[in-house]
Amino acid sequence: MGESLLSVGLDVGTTTTQMVVSRLEIGNRAGSFTVPEYVISQRQVIYKSPVYFTPLIGEELVDGEKIKALVAREYERAGISREQVDTGAVIITGETSRRENAEAVTRALSEYAGDFVVATAGPDLESVLAARGAGAVEYSRQTGKRVLHIDIGGGTSNIALIEDGVITATGCVNVGGRLLRWDERGCICYISPVAQRLCDASLGRPFDGRILAKTLVKALEMAAGLRPADALLEQVRTKGTSMKIPEGEWVISFSGGVADCIEKSMEKDAFGDLGPALGQEIKNSLLCRGRYRLGQQTIRATVIGAGCYSAQLSGSTVFFRNIDFPLKNLPVVQAGEEDLGQRLSTLDGDGILFFSGAEPSYKQVKSLAERIVKAAEGKRIYVAVDKDMAKALGQAIALMAGEDAAVLCIDGVGLKAGDYLDVTAPVGTALPVIVKTLIFETGG
Amino acid sequence: MNKQDLSAMVAEILRELHPEPMVKGSEYKPSNPGPEQKDEQYHDGDFVPDVTQLNLRKLYLVEQGENEDAYRKMKEKTPARLGSGRAGPRYKTLTMLRFRADHAAAQDAVFSQVREEFAGENGLVEVKTRCKDKEEYLTRPDYGRSFDEENQQKIRKAVTGTPKVQIVVGDGLSSAAIQANAMDCLAAITDGLKARGISLGQSLFVRYCRVGAGDAVGDVTGCELVCVLVGERPGLVTDKSMSAYITYQPRTGVSESARTVVSNIHAQGTPAVEAGAYIAELIEKIRKNKGSGVGLHLEEKG
Repeated sequence: MGESLLSVGLDVGTTTTQMVVSRLEIGNRAGSFTVPEYVISQRQVIYKSPVYFTPLIGEELVDGEKIKALVAREYERAGISREQVDTGAVIITGETSRRENAEAVTRALSEYAGDFVVATAGPDLESVLAARGAGAVEYSRQTGKRVLHIDIGGGTSNIALIEDGVITATGCVNVGGRLLRWDERGCICYISPVAQRLCDASLGRPFDGRILAKTLVKALEMAAGLRPADALLEQVRTKGTSMKIPEGEWVISFSGGVADCIEKSMEKDAFGDLGPALGQEIKNSLLCRGRYRLGQQTIRATVIGAGCYSAQLSGSTVFFRNIDFPLKNLPVVQAGEEDLGQRLSTLDGDGILFFSGAEPSYKQVKSLAERIVKAAEGKRIYVAVDKDMAKALGQAIALMAGEDAAVLCIDGVGLKAGDYLDVTAPVGTALPVIVKTLIFETGG
Repeated sequence: MNKQDLSAMVAEILRELHPEPMVKGSEYKPSNPGPEQKDEQYHDGDFVPDVTQLNLRKLYLVEQGENEDAYRKMKEKTPARLGSGRAGPRYKTLTMLRFRADHAAAQDAVFSQVREEFAGENGLVEVKTRCKDKEEYLTRPDYGRSFDEENQQKIRKAVTGTPKVQIVVGDGLSSAAIQANAMDCLAAITDGLKARGISLGQSLFVRYCRVGAGDAVGDVTGCELVCVLVGERPGLVTDKSMSAYITYQPRTGVSESARTVVSNIHAQGTPAVEAGAYIAELIEKIRKNKGSGVGLHLEEKG
């Protein structure tokens, strides 16, 4: 087959900014005498940028112009041009993930808009990407083990529960290596709001980071279900996230910059931050009491997750006509057999209808098509279905809606209300898609 | 040597072979006694449970497996009879019964007939190859590829003009496959061709049909392309699998390599409806390429 996608991942984090370029090989898994089945058969990272400190204006605002220059330079060093890039994800993560920053970066990278289809990532998506990028999902899939993956970055720790290779829950706490920073004289030069609440460090004064590190690691133990939760956990929990750890045994897996400080003993002031102290405390904590492992990737886990794992392929029998790819940010409206009529009425031209129902006869396909066409009233029709029937349904819709109607009908992608979907031009007979704000996977 | 001497001698020889004291039968305690056997009581007139109703992908009979959850996950991905456990070196009774039941269903599918009303109910015109019955169909493949004068007349009468595409539904080796899938698939193909503006002749149902019967239909109708939907040889996974053989310029004697095939059309493979839509697109591609079979794939790769 020999088709491939060039994918760029860019992670603008609290502390560091990184870029990777990867090649996603597309292969046909089906035999010669059956309907084709295209899958991403290989993910290969072909370029990794150095780990840069995130360019900031002041303490918290990301410098969009500097990000743009960084991306331009890294494209050049990777030997790729914008035209070659098929898909990619920019994720703005951790404490940096604020509206102003998202807007600044989106604006700065607008000329790269065709390349990147994701613009921001909430803490839940970041947990998913880090767990995949660190190889924890693959480890769980291969061994059948239950894994609790923790990506400890500068400002946040992203947690993902993985059972049999499927991420079943995600969470996030404000525990990171850069919550406190020292200048070269050993005096505190930055205190994050979270750190301020947890310790009595003050600017310009020396402070022993181990005290705060102990508290933070205690919070991590609570988040991992290894210690009964108290008010401390609520203090550090990232807004809008929640997570319950079920009973049972978990292999704990680490990534993120702080993961590098767990096994290696570092000078306490190697980076002028909490990282080495946190790593040391984690090593001595309940987290490392049982079975634990470091991810295949540590500081690069999230960016590799963004570059290699954000795109997936639709089913190989899909239908599209009069569609200008890429399609971006299609809001998902979910419907079943019972509430189809009601959901159809809420759909406007840019939403995608995700329909789940029983394996249909052709008569049922036609009646479904008829209802959809009628409800669309001449607007564009974007439909996703959970059963393998997209081509038949799309064809039936197109037949009723007429030659000029814009019709897209895909299957093989699990969606739910609240998701947003990006779709890019076809490879093989499948369409690469990115499901955004996807917290839980549907397998595969 | 009398009988007693003989048995004494045999015992002696056995002792020499087994210098250690042999365990007496009554002392034998199996290390793994297996699950407790329930004595199920059946009464006259009761039905025993139908073994074919069990979902094989969920049936896990291994005793004391290392990781049952992981094994069950694997089983969900394949129709193969994994995790069937064993009784000594043999299958368990349930496994054997199910195997024989599936095998019987496969054989039945070959010998069963497509219902007489099938063609009429579905708007197909029925014709018959030269075979006079199923037995002859199985023993004389050549008869299953041609029509007598009467049936040729019938085809001529049914298919007016020279259609671009002709669809033939044939019972083949599985009547069950045709009854389960053919009409859904045909409906999707028909709509797909309509959307592409490709004309379609009156679809036929051929009894005692081999794939080559499509070539004979091509001889009679002069169609540009024939698509034969035919029941596949039944297997132990399903007796309802159908294939579509698409031949460009179908004429008697055409090489088998000139056919493009889409196989495994059934509920657990490619659903009939989706396969139909795919076949319609494939037909368009073959017509553009002016050739089917091996040539088509080469061209695609090139």
